[in-house]
Amino acid sequence: MLSAVTGLGSIESTVAKNLPVVSIHQLGLCLSRASASVLNLNCSLILLPMCRTLLAYFRGSQKVPSRRTRRLLDKSRTFHITCGVTICIFSGVHVAAHLVNALNFSVSYSEDFVELNAARYRNEDPRKLLFTTVPGLTGVCMVVVLFLMITASTYAIRVSNYDIFWYTHNLFFVFYMLLMLHVSGGLLKYQTNLDTHPPGCINLNRTSSQNISLPEYFSEHFREPFPEEFSKPEEFTQNTFVKICMEEPRFQANFPQTWLWISGPLCLYCAERLYRYIRSNKPVTIISVISHPSDVMEIRMVKENFKARPGQYIILHCPSVSALENHPFTLTMCPTETKATFGVHLKIVGDWTERFRDLLLPPSSQDTEILPFIQSRNYPKLYIDGPFGSPFEESLNYEVSLCVAGGIGVTPFASILNTLLDDWKPYKLRRLYFIWVCRDIQSFRWFADLLCMLHNKFWQENRPDYVNIQLYLSQTDGIQKIIGEKYHALNSRLFIGRPRWKLLFDEIAKYNRGKTVGVFCCGPNSLSKTLHKLSNQNNSYGTRFEYNKESFS
Amino acid sequence: MGQIEWAMWANEQALASGLILITGGIVATAGRFTQWYFGAYSIVAGVFVCLLEYPRGKRKKGSTMERWGQKYMTSVVKLFGPLTRNYYVRAVLHLLLSVPAGFLLATILGTACLAIASGIYLLAAVRGEQWTPIEPKPRERPQIGGTIKQPPTNPPPRPPAEARKKPSDEEAAAAGGPPGGPQANPIPVTDEVV
Repeated sequence: MLSAVTGLGSIESTVAKNLPVVSIHQLGLCLSRASASVLNLNCSLILLPMCRTLLAYFRGSQKVPSRRTRRLLDKSRTFHITCGVTICIFSGVHVAAHLVNALNFSVSYSEDFVELNAARYRNEDPRKLLFTTVPGLTGVCMVVVLFLMITASTYAIRVSNYDIFWYTHNLFFVFYMLLMLHVSGGLLKYQTNLDTHPPGCINLNRTSSQNISLPEYFSEHFREPFPEEFSKPEEFTQNTFVKICMEEPRFQANFPQTWLWISGPLCLYCAERLYRYIRSNKPVTIISVISHPSDVMEIRMVKENFKARPGQYIILHCPSVSALENHPFTLTMCPTETKATFGVHLKIVGDWTERFRDLLLPPSSQDTEILPFIQSRNYPKLYIDGPFGSPFEESLNYEVSLCVAGGIGVTPFASILNTLLDDWKPYKLRRLYFIWVCRDIQSFRWFADLLCMLHNKFWQENRPDYVNIQLYLSQTDGIQKIIGEKYHALNSRLFIGRPRWKLLFDEIAKYNRGKTVGVFCCGPNSLSKTLHKLSNQNNSYGTRFEYNKESFS
Repeated sequence: MGQIEWAMWANEQALASGLILITGGIVATAGRFTQWYFGAYSIVAGVFVCLLEYPRGKRKKGSTMERWGQKYMTSVVKLFGPLTRNYYVRAVLHLLLSVPAGFLLATILGTACLAIASGIYLLAAVRGEQWTPIEPKPRERPQIGGTIKQPPTNPPPRPPAEARKKPSDEEAAAAGGPPGGPQANPIPVTDEVV
C-alpha cells in the first residue's frame, strides 16, 4: 500500500512538472521516472526485514512496549516478499518505458539541445544505445540478475530445492552494485541557467521554424511550470510572455537520488552481517549428544557470552558437513543464570542432518541413548549464529496461552517449558494450555521427562492448573498405548485420535471469560490454518483469541 | 549441492521467459515498431513455450506441487514421448526459439531469459534428469468388512484376542483384561432374578 501511494505521488509530481501536453514522449518518460521512484523506495525498504539481529533486539527491548508493534515484527518475511514482488512489477514497467524512450531518443534527435540527447546521432539503432551506454548495460545486467533471483524464489523451489533459492538470492549484492552504477550515468539533466534562458524564450539568432518546435523538446525538471499557452504552437505568436534569450542553455546532470535512498539500509545490512560474522566466529563446545527415538538427536553445548530468550532460534554451521550450508533450529533449552548449557533438538530429515548425525553419533552406537564419554573428543567444529527472534517468545507475555505443537514443532515450546521449570514467577503467564499432536507414540519420549517434572513441580507449589497438558496420538495402528510405565501423569492425559478444536476452543473460552488468550501453533500448514480460523471466530463468553503466526517458508 | 534438481528451476525460468516474450511481443506489435512481425512471432513462441512448460515434472525424491489445472496439459505433453521427456531436446528447442526474438528491441529480454533457461536445461540433461508426468494416485477403496474374520465363539466377558490365542503369554494383554481362558469367578455367581 505504501508503495502504491508513493508511486502515485511520484507520477503526479512528475506529470505536473513536465509539459501538460502528454504526447508519447512524455508518457514514456513519466512512467519511467515514476516507476524509478517506486523502485528506489522498495529497494531501500526490502533490506530492512532481513536485519534479523536488529529485529530480535527490538523484539526484546523495552523500547517496543506495545504488543501490536511486536506483532508487526512477525510479518517481516511477508513484508520482504511484498517488496520483492513490487520491485518485480515496477521493474517491468520501468524497462518497458525505457525501451520506448530509447526508440524516441534515436528518432527525435535534437540538434538544438545537443547535451540533452542520449543518442549520439539521429536514428542511432536503439539496441546499440542499450548496450553501449552505462545505464543501458547496467540495466540489462540488472534485469538478468533479477530474473534469476525471482525464478528461484517461487514457493515450489523454496520447498523443494532450498539451495538454489539461497545461492541465487545472494546475488542481491551484485544487483545493488549495478544499481549504483546505473544511476550514475548522468542521463537526466536540469538546466542551470534558467534566469538567463527561460524555457520557450526566443533566440533572435535563429530562424522562426526552429523556435516553433521548442515545446516538443523533452528536457526535464523545469523549475517553474510551463504556462499553458506555450504548449500549443498555433498560439505561439499570440502570447505576450515571450522573453528574449540572453545566452545558450547550460545543463547539468542531476544528483543520483537513488544513492541517498539505498545507502542507508545497505550500510545497515552490511554492518549487521559483519556483526553476525564476528559473533559466530568462535565455535561452541559440545557437551553431550543424545539420540532420541523417531530420528531425533539432541545436542547440548556451551558458548561464552551467549544469551537467549525462550522461543528464539539459532543457525548451525558445521564446515565438516558442508562448507556453505546453514540450517536454523529452535533452541529447546536456553542458558539461564545458573546453567550456561543450551540445546537443540534436530529431526533427521535430509542429507545435511544425516551427515551431521553420522559425524556426531557413529553408526555403531546409534541405538544406545547416551553417547559414551570417550567419543566426545572427536566432535566436529560447530558454529552458531543467532539467536534470532520468533513470535513464540510472546507466549510468556499473555496471561493465558494456548500452545499447539505438531510433531517436531514442539521445540519452541520446549524452551518455554524449560524456562517455566526454572522459574515461572517473573512472567505474565498464569495459565498454559499445551497440546501436542504426534503420529508416533515414541515421539512423546523426547520431552516426557520435562513434562513430568513440570507437572510435579506445579503440584508441589499448589498450582496444579498452571499447565494443562493434552497429548494426542493421531495415528492409531500401534498396539502400545502408553508412553512408558513411569510417566503416569502423561499416560492419563494421552488421547487417541485428532483433537477436536472447536470443543477445545469453547472450553478454553468458558474457563477464561473476558480474557485475551494468545494462540501459538508450530506444525503443518493445515493445522495452522484451522487454528487461525477458529481464533478469529467470536464466542459467547467474551474471550478473545489472538493468533500469532510464524512463517517458515 | 549434489542433490539439486536443476530441471525444476529451468522450468520456472522457461515459464517466466514465455510470459516476457508474450509481453514484449504485444508491445512491439501494438506500437507498430519497424519489423513488427518479429513481435508477432514472439507472441506465438511465448504462448507455445508457456503451454509446453506449464506441467511441472515430478521430482525424484519427495512430493511435487502441481500447478493449478496442469493435468490437462500433462496428458498432451505426455503424448510426445521422448521429445518432451528428454531435456536435451528442450534445451535445443528453447535456444532455437529464442534467436529470432533477439532482433527486435522490445523482445530482446525474452531472448536473454529463454537462453538462460535453455542453458539450465542443458545442465539438467547432462546430469541425467528426465521429465516424468505427475499421475494422479488411484484412490484406494476402503475394504468393507476386511478386518472381520469370524464372530467370537465365547460369550462375554471375553479376554482379548492375544490371550485367547496364546494363553501362556500374559504380557500381550495391553488392555489389561483378565488373563487366561474363560472367566473363572472367585465367588460363585447365582442368578437372583425372582
